[in-house]
Amino acid sequence: MSNDVLAEVSHLSKAFGTIPAVEDLSFAVRAGEVCGLLGPNGAGKTTTLRMLVGLIAPNAGQASLFGVTVGPGCAELARVGVMVEQAAFVPHLSGMTNLRLWWEAGGGRLHDADLDGALALAGLGDSVQRKVRTYSQGMKQRLGFARLLLARPELLILDEPTNGLDPAEIKEIRNLLHRLADGGAAVLLSSHHLAEVEQTCSQVVVMSRGRLVASGPVHELRAAGATVRIEVDDPARGAALLRALPMVGQLDVEGSDLVVRMGDGRRSDLVAALVMGGVGVESVSATRDLEDVFLRLVDQSEKSRAEQDTEQTR
Amino acid sequence: MIALLRTELVKAVRRTRTVVILAALIGLPTVISLAVNARGPRRPDRGEGLFRLASQSGLVIPAAILTMTSAFLLVIVSGTIIGDSVAGDAATGNLRYLLLRPVSRAKLLVAKAVVSTLLVWVATLLVVLTALVAGVALFGWHAISVPVAASESGPPQWIELTTVDLLARLAFGTLYVAFGFTALVGIGTFFSTLTDTPSGAIGASVGVYIVSEILDAITDLGSLRYGLPTHYRSVWVDTITRNSFSPDLKAGVIVQLAYGVVFLTASIVWFRRKDIRS
Repeated sequence: MSNDVLAEVSHLSKAFGTIPAVEDLSFAVRAGEVCGLLGPNGAGKTTTLRMLVGLIAPNAGQASLFGVTVGPGCAELARVGVMVEQAAFVPHLSGMTNLRLWWEAGGGRLHDADLDGALALAGLGDSVQRKVRTYSQGMKQRLGFARLLLARPELLILDEPTNGLDPAEIKEIRNLLHRLADGGAAVLLSSHHLAEVEQTCSQVVVMSRGRLVASGPVHELRAAGATVRIEVDDPARGAALLRALPMVGQLDVEGSDLVVRMGDGRRSDLVAALVMGGVGVESVSATRDLEDVFLRLVDQSEKSRAEQDTEQTR
Repeated sequence: MIALLRTELVKAVRRTRTVVILAALIGLPTVISLAVNARGPRRPDRGEGLFRLASQSGLVIPAAILTMTSAFLLVIVSGTIIGDSVAGDAATGNLRYLLLRPVSRAKLLVAKAVVSTLLVWVATLLVVLTALVAGVALFGWHAISVPVAASESGPPQWIELTTVDLLARLAFGTLYVAFGFTALVGIGTFFSTLTDTPSGAIGASVGVYIVSEILDAITDLGSLRYGLPTHYRSVWVDTITRNSFSPDLKAGVIVQLAYGVVFLTASIVWFRRKDIRS
């Protein structure tokens, strides 16, 4: 493992009873990276994050922080800021008392923590002295961010961190994550908001049904997932012509549209092939956002898994 | 460890529920004292138990009330405190954040059990002190006479217990009753680690004590009853009613210790391996 790897999972697997949640998952998060963990509901994102911080024990493989295998209550947790699902507190205590008790439970003194910085980020003002049960979800989430920043963490692990926040707060959190990454920290976050991941993350790990589907820099995944939509007057003939081309990775017919997942090649070559084959081209559009890539990857993974399951059944 | 204990204590004490419990622990002994006073004196050689002697001295009132509450009110209060200790944090989602601190789960569980024990002891003491104040105010501060040996053929022999004797026995009884919840601490903590629903853990803990009381009443079970966590609950009463320190007192302590150690160990083993999904 290289020195700049702050978090790593290696061949990690976990099943709850007979239901697999995570299977043979491996990836790493390096210093300065903001890494997004993407996947549909039930993909195993939360289970993965919980294994990474010692809340859940893996059945196989290992999770490590700063090169040390994670176990419940391990010392490396002091260097990590974690928000798993929604921020939760002792409801009958004030925000400030919650912060103090949580910090002191780990054996530290509150004046050693970055309390001013954390409270400035939370922006709760005098409300921090109110009981948490009176807080809105957004206020709890902001207090949650304050709590995870108390330790000046070198690594942030965030599960759906912007739930309950308004757009301005989300932007504030995005800027904060970039600032932390610029300072050498690493961030691993799971999110359903693909646009948010696209704007926030430099790396992405895509999961489906507990397995790794793809990983790498966001811009590379986007480029690999370029999709071309061509409206034609004869979709059946057009599809037959394009399927013969090596640059066409996958082709779907949607009404009069041909939706082409491109490999290496140019869109103009597709149009030329259609026109020379006598197919009229009405319009051409290209999309290459992360959502397309994500949906395609997950779709491919699901199909592949279904085929495997069918073969096993035979 | 000290920091963990302080954290758990603050969390437990600063609950609205704690105020309600305090009111019950102060209110019930006061009401019972007033009821005994309203009922008037009984003949000291008639009837059984501490309430027979209660109107003789305000120093007997707290012992009588302690016996009564240790079978009901204190069980519910203790079960509530203990059952909520882990499951309550799990229900709010706070448990996962507590476990993200670099602290071993065993240490956290022991801290919770210690705080539960401390609160149960304080609850027991509060019942006794409240009853003592009410008892002395209503019945005065007197020595009493108790029969040392019951005889079919002749009159019983009587011995006087001075106020110092009564206070010493009351202190002993308070300690014995408080220690008598050690099994409940172990069982309740175990249930609390099993579920994320505090009411379930509380109900199960109190339920075990109720079932134990019911089984203990079935004499056909014979010596099996000696292993029940409630079997020796009231044997300390003889130190006042018969001026007798029964060997059962030692057995009661051993049974409590055994339950406490076994269930607390099981709690730690289970909790260390538990997947936290709440």
